[in-house]
Amino acid sequence: MQREQISALRDGALVAASLLVGIVPWGIVTGVAMVSAGLTPVEAVAMGVLVFAGSSQLAVLPLLIAKAPLWVMYATALVVNLRYVIYGAVLAPYFEHLSRPWRALLSYITVDGVFALFVGRFRPDDGDPHKHWFFLGGSLAMWGAWQLSSWVGIFGGALIPKEWMLEFAATLGLIALLIPLLFDRAVTWGAIAAGGVALIAAKLPLNLGLLAAIAAGIAVGLAVARFGAPRAGRG
Amino acid sequence: MAGEAWLGWTLIAGMALVSFFTRAIFILPGSHLRLPPIAERVLRYAPAAAIMAIIVPDLALAQGAWSISIENPRLIGGLVAFALAAATRSILATIVGGMLALTLVRLS
Repeated sequence: MQREQISALRDGALVAASLLVGIVPWGIVTGVAMVSAGLTPVEAVAMGVLVFAGSSQLAVLPLLIAKAPLWVMYATALVVNLRYVIYGAVLAPYFEHLSRPWRALLSYITVDGVFALFVGRFRPDDGDPHKHWFFLGGSLAMWGAWQLSSWVGIFGGALIPKEWMLEFAATLGLIALLIPLLFDRAVTWGAIAAGGVALIAAKLPLNLGLLAAIAAGIAVGLAVARFGAPRAGRG
Repeated sequence: MAGEAWLGWTLIAGMALVSFFTRAIFILPGSHLRLPPIAERVLRYAPAAAIMAIIVPDLALAQGAWSISIENPRLIGGLVAFALAAATRSILATIVGGMLALTLVRLS
């Protein structure tokens, strides 16, 4: 490695340090929730490394406890991960000159916080030849913090008695995750509709209820955005 | 859950693929693909809908039946967590407060 590459890698890691405070509690909660949902510690560690997507890990755990079919859990992980498709579309021009192994590595390691820092700081055509090292440095810091904090939850959570119902931490984590997503009226009404349909459709087989709820949420979100222009005096 | 070992590993393998390909779908081909506008709008509403659709049944159902009562520990814990998340935006406050409320109702 050249000196400039090492320095870009280190800059990325230092800038991402501000994000570590946020990721550590998530890692611990996800670790605890994975073993409480019935994964063995080895499976839980493997999930953190191979999946490396906290929100979709948290989202499938209540479904695993409810014994939902595998394909429903896959579909849920996909929907929760859709934001990465948008990030990928934004990042692609930054990385298109890199080799395929580099592009695969940077894809695997993309996380929300580093994505936001990176696109705020660089442009695809800014002529900086080392910006992918910055991205890698920040992402590696997040990756390490995620794995270590998950292990604290995985091995610490295994010691906590079952009747404390710590698996509920996954649902509480989803609540903390959901609130910042509700950034406008259309998204909020879509989410409320999805929750209502999920409750009404609970008597249906679980898989149908969840998918109907997501479809209803998208439809209501689109409809509110299209027809629900804010009027004076209305929230 | 030794008898169900295949389930855990199949879940992890499938999620690993989903997680990699949602991130890689535009980065790996390395060309100027663009997202159609309708897809962008659907992507905006889907994640919050999915997460809410997982939370609500987990709070309001017990053994598959509606359980909307102040004696349901998960419902109370969840409502307290919603209030704390909205008021503080703190992960720690949300989870600790939700677990405390759950435990208080469970033990009462």
